[in-house]
Amino acid sequence: MNKGKCLAGIDVGHVHTKAVVVREEEILGYCTEPTGFDFIAAAQTALKGASDHAGISIGELGEIVATGIFGDMIKGPPLNITQAVPDYMADAKGALFLNKNSRTVIDVGGNIHKAVLYDERGNLVDVIQNDKCADGLGIFYTNMSKAMGLSEEELSELALKSTKPLSLAIQCGLSAESDAIDLMCQGKDTADVADAVSKFVAERVADMCTYLSLTKEIVVAGGLAKSQAVINHLQSLLKRDVSVLNLPEYVGAIGVVMSHEGGK
Amino acid sequence: MTGQQVATVKEQLDWNKAKAIVAGVDVGAATSKTVILVDGQPYAVSHVTTRVPKEAALKAMNEALAKAGLSLEKIHYVVGTGRGRAQIPFARETISEVACGAAGAVHVWGPSVRTVLDAGAQSCKVIHCTEKGRATAFLWNDKCAAGIGRSMEVFADLVRKGVNEIGAIALQSDQFPKLSDFCAVYAQSEALDLMRSKVPPEQIIAAYHNAMAKRISILVARAGLKKDFVVIGGLAKNPGIVNGLESILKVDRLPPKPEWDPASTVALGAALFADFFYRRQQAHA
Repeated sequence: MNKGKCLAGIDVGHVHTKAVVVREEEILGYCTEPTGFDFIAAAQTALKGASDHAGISIGELGEIVATGIFGDMIKGPPLNITQAVPDYMADAKGALFLNKNSRTVIDVGGNIHKAVLYDERGNLVDVIQNDKCADGLGIFYTNMSKAMGLSEEELSELALKSTKPLSLAIQCGLSAESDAIDLMCQGKDTADVADAVSKFVAERVADMCTYLSLTKEIVVAGGLAKSQAVINHLQSLLKRDVSVLNLPEYVGAIGVVMSHEGGK
Repeated sequence: MTGQQVATVKEQLDWNKAKAIVAGVDVGAATSKTVILVDGQPYAVSHVTTRVPKEAALKAMNEALAKAGLSLEKIHYVVGTGRGRAQIPFARETISEVACGAAGAVHVWGPSVRTVLDAGAQSCKVIHCTEKGRATAFLWNDKCAAGIGRSMEVFADLVRKGVNEIGAIALQSDQFPKLSDFCAVYAQSEALDLMRSKVPPEQIIAAYHNAMAKRISILVARAGLKKDFVVIGGLAKNPGIVNGLESILKVDRLPPKPEWDPASTVALGAALFADFFYRRQQAHA
């Protein structure tokens, strides 16, 4: 069984640190940890989790590579990370690996969202990132689900049951949160407010995407890709079909491994 | 702040012999509070997390009733207040949180209070009042300053600290980088980016508190500050915010009362209105 060497990819984001263990283009294990102040500790814990999940020890790992907004901060010892790749490049490689026909990935993360266009080899064609007012969409979504007493999955499920469309201000997360609380205080149905929260996130992402001509196939990555309610709204706002990648929050971590000697 | 379910009761009062048992219910954006008064004296207080406002109102009331050994029928008069005050089915009257904040603050701190800062989860307002606790003017936060209270909780989660400990951590640093103090979205994003510049965690926490204190102080300065000054609402319990405010505004607030949770002040004000309305109704009966 022990054919090729195992590689690990770590994606240190603003909010979460994700690690994957890959062998011969096969994803063996993955794990997510909150980032917090100590990137190294978060990376170590996530790496341990991913190795455990893969059923190997960290010592068996061939090489460890990093990406993400803080990816370059964990280079070198103690993790002996050999390479750090910018997050949009890792996104392109990861998305292409997970879906060979994809040419655009929309990555909706905790603090930033971006759209990356690439060719059939995963080379960068174009990229756009949100403006500062739209920072923190993922944080907003987590915060709203907490405020409404729901898990993020429940918020999406509930939003899909909405019958009356409501809207939040298309400004920043602060205004949207304020509007959502107002709607709750007006006695509006929680499902309809959950739908409005999901629509707000999709609107901000779709707004950003108007600056690029998206090439198909379009795939969505990042933690918010797991919200079907967000995806449905995004699809209707973009008037394009989008599909959600398998393991959407790990696209960066997978991508950095793939960009390192093709993951072999 | 949020997340905790608390109910307290004053044992030495006996409601069996009371003439007026009234309640104030404050349905806030993050927590709902109930204060039950027995003959004008605070008897039972409860705090619950607001999710669906109508359910939170009922829960806050039931927690206080249970603690007091009372039932809703025994309550002569209920006044509702707070952002979700229209969602309190058992409230006879509703009154704005501005009027209730002034009434509650003067009851707790006495007639010298002239400026009340109510710093809650979703909104901040500055209230001017008379020695009798009548609100004479107020200034509500603009939309860009909404949600400061809740943003502290979000921030605490991001830096993996408890919401009740970050305020004290913020006090450990005299020097810290400056963040945007106009917008909490900017401040939060900048604080996250600061993590890569090797700034110590305490300094980032201090920087965020200072930015939010600056944001609130702009509101207070615009409204005008007349002494004595008190701070109520959940943020009154965050020493990082309060110290920041005091040093930016160059004023000391009246110290908190040991037996009084400042987050319940608006509910107390509503209860005082309920007491007043009930007595007036009895006098005319």
